[in-house]
Amino acid sequence: MSWTRGAFCHPCRHEATCTIATLPCYLGETQQQEATGDREVPTGQSVTIDIGVDIGGTFTDIVCRRAGQTMQTLKIPTTRGDPSQAVLNAIEHLGRSFGVAPGDIARFLHGTTIATNAVLERKGAKIGLIASEGFRDVLEIGYQLRQDLHRILLEPVTPVFLAPGAQRKEAREQVSAEGEIIVPLDEASVRQAVDELVADGVQAIAVCYLFSFLRPEHEQRTRALIAAAHPGIAVSLSSEVDPTFREYERTVVTAFDAYMKPIVGRYLERLDDGMRTAGVSAPLQIMQSRGGLAGTSVARKRPVRLFLSGPAAGVIGGAIVGRSSGYRDLITIDVGGTSSDIALVEGGEPVTRAQGSIAGFPVRVPMVDVNAIGAGGGSIAWIDGAGGLRVGPHSAGSEPGPACYGRGGEEATVTDASVVLGWLDPAYFAGGSVALDPALAHIAIEHRIARPLGLSVEEAALGIHRVVNAQMVEGIRLVSIRRGLDPRRFTLVALGGAGPIHATALAADLGIGNVLIPRHPGVLSAAGLLAAPIEHEVAVAFPRALKGLDVADVRRVLDELDRTCSGLMAEEAVGSMPTSIQYSADVWYIGQSYHLEVPLAASASGALDKLYRDFLVQHDRIYGHATEQPAAIVNLRTVHRAGGSDHLDEGTYRPLDATLEKPRRAIRVAGANSSLPAAIYHRPAMPARLTFSGPAVVEQDDTTTLVEPGWRGTVLDNGNLLLTRG
Amino acid sequence: MDVDPITLEVLRNKLDGIANEMQLTLVRSAFSAIVKEGLDASASLFTLRGETLAQALAIPVHLGALTPMVGRLLQDVPLETMGEGDIWILNDTYMGGTHLPDIAIMMPVFAGGRVIAISAAMTHHQDVGGMAPGSTPTNATEIFQEGIRIPLLQFRRGETLNDTLIAMLRRNVRLPDVLMGDINAQVAACTIGARRLSELAGGFGRDELLALFDELLNRSETMTRQALLSLRAGTYRHVDYLDNDGIELDKLVRIEVAVTIESGQMTCDFTGTSPQVRGPFNCMASGPYAAACFALRSVTDPEGHIPNNGGCFRPLAFRLPEGSLVNPREPAPTGCRTSTIKRITTAILGALRQAAPDRVPADSGSEIVIMHFGGQRSDGRRYVTSQLLVAGSGASHHLDGVDVIETDASNCLNVPAEALMLEAPIRVHRVALACDSGGPGTHRGGLGGVFEYELLDGEATVTYRGERHLCEADGVDEGIAGGRATAVIRRMDGREEVIKSKLVSTLRKGDRIVIATAGGGGYGSPLRRDPALLQADLQNGKVSLEAAREFYGYRGNV
Repeated sequence: MSWTRGAFCHPCRHEATCTIATLPCYLGETQQQEATGDREVPTGQSVTIDIGVDIGGTFTDIVCRRAGQTMQTLKIPTTRGDPSQAVLNAIEHLGRSFGVAPGDIARFLHGTTIATNAVLERKGAKIGLIASEGFRDVLEIGYQLRQDLHRILLEPVTPVFLAPGAQRKEAREQVSAEGEIIVPLDEASVRQAVDELVADGVQAIAVCYLFSFLRPEHEQRTRALIAAAHPGIAVSLSSEVDPTFREYERTVVTAFDAYMKPIVGRYLERLDDGMRTAGVSAPLQIMQSRGGLAGTSVARKRPVRLFLSGPAAGVIGGAIVGRSSGYRDLITIDVGGTSSDIALVEGGEPVTRAQGSIAGFPVRVPMVDVNAIGAGGGSIAWIDGAGGLRVGPHSAGSEPGPACYGRGGEEATVTDASVVLGWLDPAYFAGGSVALDPALAHIAIEHRIARPLGLSVEEAALGIHRVVNAQMVEGIRLVSIRRGLDPRRFTLVALGGAGPIHATALAADLGIGNVLIPRHPGVLSAAGLLAAPIEHEVAVAFPRALKGLDVADVRRVLDELDRTCSGLMAEEAVGSMPTSIQYSADVWYIGQSYHLEVPLAASASGALDKLYRDFLVQHDRIYGHATEQPAAIVNLRTVHRAGGSDHLDEGTYRPLDATLEKPRRAIRVAGANSSLPAAIYHRPAMPARLTFSGPAVVEQDDTTTLVEPGWRGTVLDNGNLLLTRG
Repeated sequence: MDVDPITLEVLRNKLDGIANEMQLTLVRSAFSAIVKEGLDASASLFTLRGETLAQALAIPVHLGALTPMVGRLLQDVPLETMGEGDIWILNDTYMGGTHLPDIAIMMPVFAGGRVIAISAAMTHHQDVGGMAPGSTPTNATEIFQEGIRIPLLQFRRGETLNDTLIAMLRRNVRLPDVLMGDINAQVAACTIGARRLSELAGGFGRDELLALFDELLNRSETMTRQALLSLRAGTYRHVDYLDNDGIELDKLVRIEVAVTIESGQMTCDFTGTSPQVRGPFNCMASGPYAAACFALRSVTDPEGHIPNNGGCFRPLAFRLPEGSLVNPREPAPTGCRTSTIKRITTAILGALRQAAPDRVPADSGSEIVIMHFGGQRSDGRRYVTSQLLVAGSGASHHLDGVDVIETDASNCLNVPAEALMLEAPIRVHRVALACDSGGPGTHRGGLGGVFEYELLDGEATVTYRGERHLCEADGVDEGIAGGRATAVIRRMDGREEVIKSKLVSTLRKGDRIVIATAGGGGYGSPLRRDPALLQADLQNGKVSLEAAREFYGYRGNV
């Protein structure tokens, strides 16, 4: 009964390229706020309520959980101008739809696109950059690589926009590779640089000196000089943001940090204030890139760690659904409108990487390893110059959207193909809130694809799916193989509105036997927030050969890191929650230029021997070989975690008392020459342990699942849907 | 032929996926930095006619580079004598190879007991022996100095390795474990390719599958010919130069090409190009092949809509005069061919610019400075380290060039200053843009860079290989040429030694080497440059006040 428009084709849910201003007008104010899930709204009781709010490019997803009760979900449009308003609107909706009193909220968790959007829209602060003498152009030169190998008309590949030459200054100082001061900091040169930058109107200053990760004093002194002369200027020091070697990455991430500091600071301040005004006393916690939550006081100090906050929460949500269903090795695929996000979960934990990429720029922030490929529900099918069928990478997006949306789109998209094949019920798309026009889908596929190829419309539609699935399958294979993992032993988790329609086809082609469809795939990012731990991570450069290294030296550095991390944790209201600590070291072969993150049990005896052996095992798995050559540590790291959960704590799954099966519908599937009658199930009414066989279609407000012939479905006790082959 | 277009497109996506998986395996399992960071390796599937069926994205110098080697295999070894698991190896320049560090590994792919394709991988190996570490000495005068020559030999029969060959190889290279590690990565890549293609073939009849392969190539050929027809027909000439051949330092090496576009065909005639040179800058036919294919693709299909396979090469024809720089006679050395291929690419692009002026920028600096430092610290510890530095790109009719960026045939990373300083007793003093090096124009050429290194301890041999020291990147349509590259050694005692593009010398403690890479050419008259852009250039330090007055007619005071 609620609308979740665009669930099948919401372009770049976590990016800023969608324009909210063009939302269709049928989303009137009054009909936007109906809730899904359980309608029994208890009021007036004092209960613990956790709220998760994920702000995407188009929609803000809200989940509300009372301990032991069915989770309630809600979607409202993202407020484009001021996303913090969407959060505050959410509080109002919570009261109206779920009877939540602000004072009853125990935890308020938030995934945000604010950081990513600031970069995509170039809306960060005007910043200055101060570098060591001789190195102010590092930001602009970078690695000198071009991005597109076959282009000759080139554009800059480094984030010069952060600080063009006039906003980059140098300070006279020099520190050696051993950390000795060769030239002491010339404070006059710093003062002059700062004065010039401030006169030029910068709001924040990034400071990145060579080898500051070994000797941070010059950067620290620079901050003091800035504060003394211009106390209102925000400062980011490379020795704090990312204290590891390689000056280009360190400069970029420090500059991004400064670029976002004023914006993120204001945003979080407005949220905090708004929440207090609304009567919410619970602390606000934000999802970070690595998949853990942090309080606002910490988040605003390290804004660069908020990149890809939303997708990280989605993978956490997928991991939780897997864990609570007994599956710990997962491939998650979130099919959006223009692209699909693929991520791996190994042993129940999302795979992370030390460096990500935002808008094509390298950002050395540890992140959940989410990989986008350019194929999604809005991908356009076309005929190339030699008469071949191609799909993507262009997408119809949400405007005009697939032809069947009836908003002027004439191109044939993957979603149109799904309509033609009978997989999507035009009257129950997004819970019936968007009426699809099957005739328009039919016309688009007939004119654009079927006729030029001499095929029937249904054959053409099946063809579009076969081609786009082949692209997704190859994308998933590459993501797995890059980590040295065989996809066949994984369970596929389909997220997002459009994932479940492709799931069995992808799994069959990949040789995967199990597919999980979460209860609420369309709002899994918001749900993931509820189960994520509070997490802080601190790393430092420690360039030392393993041979002859004294473990006490390692211990000393880790103790120091632990102190910093505990300080961050102390700012969170973790109360009596136990904190777990994990150490790891980045290790490489001496002479190598790439490293692996290896867990480190620092207090165990023979810790460094074990580190070396584990490094060899991991190197063999990921790179296919390992020889007993000398290795060295590059960085040391500690991760502190508190809270987090193995399940979404939704209480006992109870199906709605509603009609379970709709009348059978004729659908076309690959491998059959004519239509087959398929059972159509209403997901919220499906009882636990219900089993059924494909061909079948499972419909719910936020997604539609296609179960192809040869697959069996089982509703698990927790309400998730398991599809198995054979 | 009557094919199902959907099956064909699914097959194409699968073949691309297989090639990508081979490439990933090749790079992931490689030992050497040159593969991991320079991506100087590629994997492909070939048809039984010896044409590329699918190739993963690799640096353009690899486009089609394996073709002559696979051709040699198919010519010399009858298909019916090949067995499952058999592997052949080849690197000899004069049997289809490129230069000796590039070793090819080739493996037949079987389905239903018969060969259906060839799976192949080529890797630039760290060292294959010869007179200098790295096997690309700038002063080689014959191929025998460049390393071990491997003719077409069987590396493995079924499961049985050719131990004799392996023993010979190991005794002839400086880093035998690295060589074998990288060869094993190639074998792994070919095996993945063969296994997945065999699995894929299971759903088809052999004849049907081979017909589908044909159709895929035919379609890329059709699209390439269509793209060529969109260019203005005619014959276009261009001349560019290498600074020298590393032996005769004062003699420019001429590269002349006449590109004829006619009836969906592109012919590159290298008549007028320098005779083969004594130094190692000669290159075999695969070089002009890769250069022409890159130039054609980048001009006609920058979005990459045309599937990358051997069909794209069919409309290309070449005239490569025998005994010339681009078709040398044995035993001419070819180790430094990459510099030549980069310059051949700028020459072909320069010719194509006349046919499509809005799609081709002015000449790029298009050099990779390759520097090796090999030395000994005063405590006796030895080290070898390298740096790769590049130039500015040419401006185009609507964009400024990009500062310090890889262009055309290669795409290599530089080594971060901190990494270099941690690895060797070298202090980096400067990584900066070279003010005024971008060729003035309505659109300005990209700037080159200035880099300064000081030796802190002991002695070191420095090898320097540059380009554009003697011959700048030209501007277009009243645009002005980019600045030339320079390099100078500043001795502790104050003496300065100018490097003429290539040099091997000794640095002592306190000596510095200062390098400026070339700028890209400008496009259009600098007098027509948007004053706001000029103002920004002045403020950002890309153009000096003097140059603004001299070239751009600037009257202000910044």
